[in-house]
Amino acid sequence: MTAAAAVVGTAVHDPGLDARQVLGRKGLLYKEPATRLALCAVHQALALEPGERPDWPLRPRTAVVACSNLGNVQTVSEVTRAVRAGGVREVSPMAAPNASSNVIASTVALWFRLGGPNLMICSGATAGLDGLAMALRLLRAGRADQVVLVGAEPADEVATALYGPSLRAGAACVLLEAEGDVLVEAPTAGEPSPGGPSPSGSVAQEPAGDLYGAHGVAAVALAARAVVAGHTETVTVTCGSAEDGWRSALVRRRREAPR
Amino acid sequence: MTALILGGATLTSLGDGAATFTALLAGDAGPVPLAHGDPGRLRVTRGHHVPDGDPNTPFRASGWLTRCVREALDASAVDPARTRVACVVGSGLRELAAVELLDPRAVPVQRLHFAHAVRRAAPEIGEVVTVSNACSAGGHALALAQDMVELGDADAVVVAATDAMTESMLAMIGRVADEPTDRVRPFDAGRTGVLLGEGAAAFVIVAEGSHRPDQRGAALARVLATGLSCDAHHETAPSAEGIGRAMRDAYHRAGRRPRETGLVLAHGTGTALNDPTECAALRDVLVADGGDPLITGVKGAVGHTSGVAALTSLDVALRCLRTGRVPPITGLRTPLPEGKDLRLLIGEPAPTPGGLVQLDAFGFGGVNAVTLLERP
Repeated sequence: MTAAAAVVGTAVHDPGLDARQVLGRKGLLYKEPATRLALCAVHQALALEPGERPDWPLRPRTAVVACSNLGNVQTVSEVTRAVRAGGVREVSPMAAPNASSNVIASTVALWFRLGGPNLMICSGATAGLDGLAMALRLLRAGRADQVVLVGAEPADEVATALYGPSLRAGAACVLLEAEGDVLVEAPTAGEPSPGGPSPSGSVAQEPAGDLYGAHGVAAVALAARAVVAGHTETVTVTCGSAEDGWRSALVRRRREAPR
Repeated sequence: MTALILGGATLTSLGDGAATFTALLAGDAGPVPLAHGDPGRLRVTRGHHVPDGDPNTPFRASGWLTRCVREALDASAVDPARTRVACVVGSGLRELAAVELLDPRAVPVQRLHFAHAVRRAAPEIGEVVTVSNACSAGGHALALAQDMVELGDADAVVVAATDAMTESMLAMIGRVADEPTDRVRPFDAGRTGVLLGEGAAAFVIVAEGSHRPDQRGAALARVLATGLSCDAHHETAPSAEGIGRAMRDAYHRAGRRPRETGLVLAHGTGTALNDPTECAALRDVLVADGGDPLITGVKGAVGHTSGVAALTSLDVALRCLRTGRVPPITGLRTPLPEGKDLRLLIGEPAPTPGGLVQLDAFGFGGVNAVTLLERP
């Protein structure tokens, strides 16, 4: 079995777009920025209509792999401040789900009725392609027929202070299945080529700004779009940092005829 | 295909794996006064701390992980310099205790996850991924590790987990409790809620039948499969249907029947949300298939160790298989009504039943992992 999967849907969510326009007005109260961004990206990758709320039966063969490092650091800081100032009465129980780092992955599953394996990858600058590697394994191991791979980072005060001023809020989503015309191969470890990560094709495929843990997912989404559009046949995407190491993955048009 | 566990290392509030098992058999372990944060403001007065200095020091979880990974590699005689070794680290709370210093300059952002801590133990380890799947993170890490060795993506995988307490999670426990809990009483009719525990664990697994040039000792257990599911049901409340799907997935992947299971290491958090739901799922899947397993659990003695919980249970399960003795559920006096027809082990240790061992791990957001083990 090949260690590659097909990209059958993509989205790179514009964080300037109001989540209520994408998702509708209901159910967004108490959702953190990173969770909202992730929901918007998945909504668009699934090609749902603006405001359409999924009401399909639970999909137990669809997995969710979410990639984010800083999604809940603002909540963690706010809860800590509140409890130190006034005790637990100052803490909203509505913040409880947000205190757990996996809130993005589980909220995507709940919102879109996805009952398959559900993973939250928090492994730093490589998280996006680490998540891709795990997503491909879920398919190869027969744990799912489709994987919703989503990356999201916020750029709130706490996240930016931890990461640095280059951090940009954003989210992206890639839908992965076994069969399709555009393939993404299992990521490998390796530093980017001199001059930074550059595509082997003719179109630059770098997301705008530094999306940290979401970067790898956004890069795969953009690369797949370039291949679909016929701008190029193959693109190498890279994410990582000097501290966390680097991972690269190849996005390419399927060479053999689809079965 | 199945995987083998070659060696491991565990750390809980009761000490290493051997000390923890001894205390569980004696049934006398309990929580200590909470030493992280301000118990009065948190409305949490007790916890299960790893006794290694000030619990308010940051990056404790990383230190325990480094120690357990090193010990697990030594115990298994797998050398990352000579073979392809990857690592999957499960953690519920990562190093968010460092974020709670409220001084971002004191927290290098790459220290919120665990590649750094793993490579301090073994610099040659390749892929290191931190999976933050709440209180079932260790079970998810085990599933992914088995997939990696079975698919040939690594020759061996260190499946690890680590968690230290955070004030934000303690605050959530204090916020939802009627009054502070004195101890965790899994499956007890008079349960009063959960307490946090701390610790870490690491185990080395390889695909069964794979070339193992470095293997020194015998395998500790065969991992048949881990079933995964997400409830997609409610933000914080578990669902028996979703948990049941993870159990059925495990038996389906293993090609075995629920009635073959002799022992269950339950998730058993001592909460109104978990315990009746877990009982219902055990009845729906195991009892309905003709099973009648012995059920035990560890959180009454070591607290809820968050993302480490599944691997804490795994270590106890391995020792049950090796010693032939199952420790009782510490803290359980009178079973809850939903558990009356289940064989919850109270009071004294029992002989280890034959058959499979099932490990339950469920987390916030309805993320479920159920593992099946047997003697190698």
